[in-house]
Amino acid sequence: MGLVLRVAIDRCNGCGNCELACAFAHPRGTAPGHSRIRLENRRLAPARRATPVLCLQCDDAACVAVCPAHAPARNDTTGAIELDASRCIRCRSCVGACPFGNLSWDDEAHAALKCDLCHGDPQCARFCPTGALARPA
Amino acid sequence: MPTLRIDGRTVKVAEGANLLEAARAAGAHVPTLCHHPALEPSGGCRLCLVDVTREGWSGPPKMVTACLYPAEDGLVVQTASPRVVATRRVVVDLLLARCPETPIVQELARQHGIEATSYDVNPERTDCVLCGLCTRACDQMGVSAIASVSRGAGRSIAPPFDQPPPDCIGCLACAEVCPTGHVSVAESLTDRSVWGRSFELQRCRECGRAQLTKAQVAWAVARGASARDFELCDECKRRNLARTLEEVGGTVAAGEALPA
Repeated sequence: MGLVLRVAIDRCNGCGNCELACAFAHPRGTAPGHSRIRLENRRLAPARRATPVLCLQCDDAACVAVCPAHAPARNDTTGAIELDASRCIRCRSCVGACPFGNLSWDDEAHAALKCDLCHGDPQCARFCPTGALARPA
Repeated sequence: MPTLRIDGRTVKVAEGANLLEAARAAGAHVPTLCHHPALEPSGGCRLCLVDVTREGWSGPPKMVTACLYPAEDGLVVQTASPRVVATRRVVVDLLLARCPETPIVQELARQHGIEATSYDVNPERTDCVLCGLCTRACDQMGVSAIASVSRGAGRSIAPPFDQPPPDCIGCLACAEVCPTGHVSVAESLTDRSVWGRSFELQRCRECGRAQLTKAQVAWAVARGASARDFELCDECKRRNLARTLEEVGGTVAAGEALPA
């Protein structure tokens, strides 16, 4: 599998489909607050815009290095670092250690939320109408 | 890859797997209280008892804890033989005598057809089932601030000498893995207390939100993390990342598969 997801931030029109698709694709339901991708700096003028921010799947990832339970691990097929929730002891060190804030803590489910690129078929890209998030052919 | 029979079903499991993993792979329901995939198995709760024998062996089966027994080629396992069910029922009955008001124990009792314990009820109300998940989670953190103390009826989980534990970092892994919610935690906007010790929280430099204790940040830094990354909360860090991306502009590749 080659490149899985490409983010063209200057194409984003801030519609929020990606957040909904992400929340819906993961087991915590439909609230965009449970999304692993977040639209930051939403603005309306001069045009509707936002900046999609999601896990960069770092090569030398801080979350992997800090986790004492080896819960985040690279999936070599998709290149994503996937968080194995059954191995997580919920110390939240990864949430603090991520330099980009792309791991967040779900206070209700007591789980860290992290992008897993939907195991190679990112739903955010599927529902992005502008091509800001796209799966290259 | 060891191949074994579980409740009449043949399953293949990974090298080094234990009988509990094999039983669950075979679709058998084996109850547990003290099992966690990330932690060392301890065989503490005795709920995962199963009968084990081997093909060609004519003697009686042996009852073992599935979580500690390695899966081997040719094993024949019964997860719900009459003997196993009866023994497991005694274990649940004893747990119910110790923790009569704990919901998860009551649910186990209900599943095993026990309405009231047949033993003397523990006069001191507790939710601790002594599964040891908290101490093993603490060990996994490399902190080992709490341990099981004393033996027999007086056994309990406590910090050394029942004093506020000096090694604790306040990460709450113990409270999070506890199946009964016995580990009590109090948290304000600035402080968190657990095991009788109070911790100052690390607050976001920009918005003031607190997530981890300062002691846990020091622990993470000692493991090689960068102290700077802990100064902001995840929301503020994301906002900063967005700002940087806007300055750079263009296209970011998120997730490139490694070359095969």
